[in-house]
Amino acid sequence: MRENLCVQRAGFGSFTGVVMNDRQWIQSAKEGDEDAYAELVRRHSVGLHRAVARILTDDAEAWDVVQMAFLKAWQKLDRYDPRYSFSTWLYRIGTNLAIDLLRSRTSRERAHKAGTEHRLRVVGSGDGAGARVESGEADDVLRQLVRVLTPQQRSAFVLREMEGLETAEVADMLGCSATTVRNHIFQARKALRRELKERFPEYLPASERG
Amino acid sequence: MNCEIFHQLVGSYVDETLEEDRRQWFRRHLRECTSCRESALRQEPTLMFAIAPAKSAVRESVEACVAAVTGRIRQDRVERRLRHRRRPWLAAAAAAVVAVSGGLAWRAMLGNEGSGSPAIGTAQDIDRPASPPTVEVEAMGDDVRVYQFATDGDDDTAVYFIVDPALEL
Repeated sequence: MRENLCVQRAGFGSFTGVVMNDRQWIQSAKEGDEDAYAELVRRHSVGLHRAVARILTDDAEAWDVVQMAFLKAWQKLDRYDPRYSFSTWLYRIGTNLAIDLLRSRTSRERAHKAGTEHRLRVVGSGDGAGARVESGEADDVLRQLVRVLTPQQRSAFVLREMEGLETAEVADMLGCSATTVRNHIFQARKALRRELKERFPEYLPASERG
Repeated sequence: MNCEIFHQLVGSYVDETLEEDRRQWFRRHLRECTSCRESALRQEPTLMFAIAPAKSAVRESVEACVAAVTGRIRQDRVERRLRHRRRPWLAAAAAAVVAVSGGLAWRAMLGNEGSGSPAIGTAQDIDRPASPPTVEVEAMGDDVRVYQFATDGDDDTAVYFIVDPALEL
């Protein structure tokens, strides 16, 4: 993941023109500079929130997890290893919190599914699916199907396939090997393909619809 | 030419066997080339997740997150500082409680021994307070409050003073 660069803010609306990278912000934060840490939150919260929201399929809950992740990172800042990028370390904390949350709500989710499940019906056919996906339907479809994935499969698939991260980064974040990540992606894709066929045949080519 | 290469790579992308550079190129082409996207999605519908657009976060949500995180950090810092400063006062107050109750208990015991009278059932015992005064210590935000109640049975009469945690013993 590329290290972010930005211009240090000198005050309200004025800029010093000094280019600061994550490491410099982290160094200042380690010395107790809360404003430097606020800058890191500003810089990384959007990406982390997007990934966590896709894993949890809940925007509001994802903001809670993002806040918790930043607080945990602040408390452990002394233990941060600068050999890794800050975002990888942060995503690791955030992803683990999201996985814990998913595990804790599994039973609640099952009960909810049994009682109130409703399906998003997508009009149209396999042809022209590309244009619909561009309008954000993929997130809606994923929200409907994601329950068939384990928390690890879900996280690996979101980080790798939707966020476009490299296998090694995802492995670092999930604390597993690259082979395990590939296996999670493979299993997730297989399960999603099966679910798509059952519940959203509109997305399949005409020859494959049951 | 690019489109031809793209079609050859679909299987490798799905199998997770593409090198990272190639993979990034594949994902870019999937997003940019409409005809390749349509045919790739027909071949592998789960590719729809690779091109899902990122929702842009609302600026207010980001600033609310910044405010919540920095606010909590400051609160933790103040609480830690106060805990550190309160400790000698709490220890002193606890010692005072022990001293007051111990002293009163000791006096009550000596009084009983000196008089030689039975411990229960005399007229003198009725005049004497039923139990010694009590002292309570309470942490209220930035303050440490020490209460002294007149007697155990009298909750209406209380004397309290507030200790400034910023003062060092």
